[in-house]
Amino acid sequence: MNKLKVSLVKEILLLLSDKVGLLLMFVMPLLLVFIITVVQDSAFKLVNENKIEMLIVNKDQGNLGDSLIDNLALSGSFNIDVSNELLEDDIKKQTLNRDKLIAILIPKNFTKKINQNAEKISNLMLTEFGVLDSTNVLAKNQSLKNNNLDFYFDPILQESFRISILSGINTVLVGIENRKMLQQLFTDLGYEKIPDHIQKELGKQNVSINSMPASNGTSVMVPNSSQHNVPAWSLFAMFFMVISLGGNIVKERLSGSFVRLQTIPSAFLLTIWSKVLVYLFVSLSQLTIMFCIGMFIFPHLGLPELKMPTNILALIVISVLSAYAAISYSLLIGVYAKTQDQAGGFGAISIIIFAAIGGIWVPSFIMPEYMQNIGMISPLHWCIEGYYSLFLKNGEWNELTGTLIYLLLFIFGCQFFTFIKLRKQNYI
Amino acid sequence: MESPIITSVALTKYYGKSEKPSLDTINLTIFKGEKFGVFGPNGAGKTTLISLLCNIIKATSGTIEYTFDNQKKNIKEKFNQVGFVPQDFAFYAELTAKQNLYYFGGVYGMSSINVKEQTTHLLEILGLTSVADKKVKSYSGGMKRRLNLAIGLIHSPEIIFLDEPTVGVDIHSKLTIINHLEELNKKGVTIIYTSHHLKEAEDFCSRVALMDNGKVIALDTVSELIKINNAANLEELMINLTGKELRD
Repeated sequence: MNKLKVSLVKEILLLLSDKVGLLLMFVMPLLLVFIITVVQDSAFKLVNENKIEMLIVNKDQGNLGDSLIDNLALSGSFNIDVSNELLEDDIKKQTLNRDKLIAILIPKNFTKKINQNAEKISNLMLTEFGVLDSTNVLAKNQSLKNNNLDFYFDPILQESFRISILSGINTVLVGIENRKMLQQLFTDLGYEKIPDHIQKELGKQNVSINSMPASNGTSVMVPNSSQHNVPAWSLFAMFFMVISLGGNIVKERLSGSFVRLQTIPSAFLLTIWSKVLVYLFVSLSQLTIMFCIGMFIFPHLGLPELKMPTNILALIVISVLSAYAAISYSLLIGVYAKTQDQAGGFGAISIIIFAAIGGIWVPSFIMPEYMQNIGMISPLHWCIEGYYSLFLKNGEWNELTGTLIYLLLFIFGCQFFTFIKLRKQNYI
Repeated sequence: MESPIITSVALTKYYGKSEKPSLDTINLTIFKGEKFGVFGPNGAGKTTLISLLCNIIKATSGTIEYTFDNQKKNIKEKFNQVGFVPQDFAFYAELTAKQNLYYFGGVYGMSSINVKEQTTHLLEILGLTSVADKKVKSYSGGMKRRLNLAIGLIHSPEIIFLDEPTVGVDIHSKLTIINHLEELNKKGVTIIYTSHHLKEAEDFCSRVALMDNGKVIALDTVSELIKINNAANLEELMINLTGKELRD
């Protein structure tokens, strides 16, 4: 017992003396989790809550251009600046200078085209109902050229964000076209305008969409930037222990301490197990701190609160296995690396690659299929799969089987190759 | 009658796929209470021999037998009675001398009280008491060398292996180390020692083995070897037996 105690004390003292390692293990994850969550939350708010700066140049000779501007303003998503005197080059310049993120040029035939289209559809419908003669309709159908809306955007705008804005504009446009079409239909039927009671009904949206995240059990986990980022970046930072632990092992190996330990019965394995226990404690402390910050500090900073999964036992098991996987990988790097620089460099780069292919930075499902298959070798992929099951879907044990099996295999593989190397060098 | 403490029979070591043995059929008996020196040019096989005797590497063939006063059943327990002082500084530079000694004493299985007593004693004898609570990375070369020795002695071993224990230290540290080793030897500790300082070895060792090309080429007391080979001292004897060509 005394042997284990002195070994643990030694490891703790070594860890406390490694200031850079401690910074990497405790401060880096804090910064990472905080920065990424704030950034992603801001992006979310930019799309959903903040108004987007929009420039509109209305060259339309009718009234529907103004109607489009009014409806876009009513949508609440845009801060609109109308400057009808600007030319195409001025619009491009303003978007490139980032004065406005997006700009729309409404062509001079905008109203005419919508009216013409409305007439055409109304005539087709009335012909279909037998109210009009078909020969009459064909004569009226003439196409107008250069009547599309031009949409300009700052090239830095991400595609998904751009598509979401376009979709918003399209919704407004379709609303105007539909209303015009209906109006035309009533006019062709001899009405002065759409009757008020119909007008009133048209203004209502009778079917709304309930957005619900799929979840197990009764409690619903609402996906937000905290639920995504706190577990993901905590795991990423945890695997960065490879720099501290891997480097620590290389240092002891090269300094001759390991050789001395070889001459002391049982001391070598005791040292390795002490490292495992100390770093397991460190990893679980990292996760606990990160989760507590997500739960108690984030709401005070205007960020979403991290909600813990209901299956706490599964969370503990996944956390311990993830930490043990990170430790086993660090041991492997530590015994195979020839220098501390090699352990730090290779270790750090490999973790970044594991994170990239494992879905820490961007979700795996948006990657090409071959990349998703490659990503399966990353321990971080399985760790995050486990955490997402718990933090986003309130997953049960059966959904964690893949994660548990892979992590156990990964740990076994790392330990096996570590054992082979240590055996070959007669350390054990 | 002197009693053997280490007996090696036909001890041979090949590294990797090398066809030339690093150690070739070494038959050696080291007696209890000896100050036994192992000398030879670079690449002679000294470190390989010490590493085999300390169980750091495994022999390709041959056997080693240890006969301790306090007989233990297995090799692991037997090695608790062996102390090893490698040429490299084998300690934790980020810890203090006390922390290093407490740690190594602890992993040898010593009780806390024993470790503390022995630590105080060794720090005192080796002149490290005033810096006992300072981090070792701030020590001078001589202080580090003395701490390296102290760690090898923390568990009061019956045999101590010393690989170049005085390399790179000033005369004061060297004298402190040699004097303490003499004291230990007087108490019955067997010392197995390698060094490039042949004058120091000549004064210190009771018996020496001269090695070259993985073999023991001469084995006797220093005075006997010098007399038989008609040499002025150990240095001349080594040149006579191993030649003048450079070894790397």
